[in-house]
Amino acid sequence: MKKAVQLEKIGWVVFDLLLLLLGWIFLVTCTSAKDTFPDPVSVFSMLFTSFVKPIGTYTMWGHIMWSLYRVMVGFTLASVTGIIVGIAMGSSKIAEAIIKPIFEFLRPIPPIAWIPLAILWFGIDEASKYFIIWLGAFINVTLNSYVGASRTDETLIGAARMLGAGKRKVFTRIILPASMPQIFAGLQVAMSSCWMAVLVAEMVRSNEGVGWIIIRGTDTGNTAQIIVGMITIGVIGFILTTAMSWIERKVCSWNTTL
Amino acid sequence: MEHNAVKQILSCRDVSKTFYGDGKCTEVIRHIDFDVTENEFVVLFGPGQCGKTTLIKMLAGLEECEEGSISLENEKITGPRPDLGVVYQTTALFPWCTVRGNIEFGPKVRNKDKKETRKRADHFIDLVGLKGFEDSYPKALSGGMRQRVGIARAYCNDPRVLLMDEPFGHLDAQTRYMMEEALENIWQKEKRTVIFVTNNIEEAIYLADRIILLTNRPASIKQEFKIELPRPRDYVSPEFLKLREIITQAMDATV
Repeated sequence: MKKAVQLEKIGWVVFDLLLLLLGWIFLVTCTSAKDTFPDPVSVFSMLFTSFVKPIGTYTMWGHIMWSLYRVMVGFTLASVTGIIVGIAMGSSKIAEAIIKPIFEFLRPIPPIAWIPLAILWFGIDEASKYFIIWLGAFINVTLNSYVGASRTDETLIGAARMLGAGKRKVFTRIILPASMPQIFAGLQVAMSSCWMAVLVAEMVRSNEGVGWIIIRGTDTGNTAQIIVGMITIGVIGFILTTAMSWIERKVCSWNTTL
Repeated sequence: MEHNAVKQILSCRDVSKTFYGDGKCTEVIRHIDFDVTENEFVVLFGPGQCGKTTLIKMLAGLEECEEGSISLENEKITGPRPDLGVVYQTTALFPWCTVRGNIEFGPKVRNKDKKETRKRADHFIDLVGLKGFEDSYPKALSGGMRQRVGIARAYCNDPRVLLMDEPFGHLDAQTRYMMEEALENIWQKEKRTVIFVTNNIEEAIYLADRIILLTNRPASIKQEFKIELPRPRDYVSPEFLKLREIITQAMDATV
């Protein structure tokens, strides 16, 4: 029964893709869009050859690795700093009073708005990219970890203290695991925001990466290359978020809402 | 000689408590005074919302006494301590720990010997009838099973006194009877001083060596009843029903 339902779902996905493809073919053969819009054949042949034939200095693998590497640096930094600051805010009233207003102030400013300052402060190379990628993710992880830690059930803290747990053990064995689901919600959003930030950063200034492929396509009037870049971005983004939920299910298998 | 030596373990001396907040003060507990002897099963029995939970929290050291004092073996209780074990109404199990993880929590955070802890945990898992569920998370357990874990967790930490705050309050009637029987059974095997809070009269008579009847808020002691029926008790025996009538009458006068 379950298998049949799954098969049906897959069937609809295939149907959707075919529909999309048909629409695309119609667009490039029967309308005037064909001047500015590449046909599926040239896009897919370029997509497949890009993995062996370099675009610029690197093949598609190289560009993907560059982008992923930047994301991983920013994401890791953001996770570590965000969880520490967020949990500090959630478990200490003083930390909350000092840090929270700053965050409320910074949160509505999109990371992209920081690009000019980032370039002035960190130069146009990798450091400013890491900063931009880190920033948006950091704010998300911090706020989510904060909410998670501050909503820890008081009864559980009381129960742990009654069983003999001191301050440090209450922190590592109660507050930290209790915040985990919320932290993961933050990491999930942070991953998407990192992926978005890296593309912007690469479009602004770089010589490699998936974001660069698109910008390069615009500069050379190569519309197929732009779409190849976009498809790659979508697929990688999808893989990243799926991987995150998979890790969450493994780490928080005790969680009732999963 | 030893048989007659009754050892006082916990004493509650003239304890009062008032909560202040929202511009008004609520007197919750008024001059409560009682002693508990070792391995005695004391039931604090009173109407809902009368302040029983506050009293248990004070006994546990989670809430300060405003007046009077509570001491365990002549030592004043000033904060949470592992020689007082608590079983909560809401079970308060750690959802990220398995059944075994919950039961071993106390000895583990107190850095007890690992092998010894495991053996103790196995013993109590067996005793509360959770064999085969050691690696389950609380979310997979029924209400009754969760409460069994709560009881095993408290016992495994080897406290001097067990405080139980309406542990079966959320369970359906059938499960409740089963759990009362199970608790009685465990207590017979693993004697311990127990202070048990409830608003269910059957439960009180079934379990107690002594029932302390509390008045409505502010809670004070109305009357005490020694229950000397042989265990395990029969809910419908004439003696049981007689006691039930006597206590109900005393209770009606309090409300």
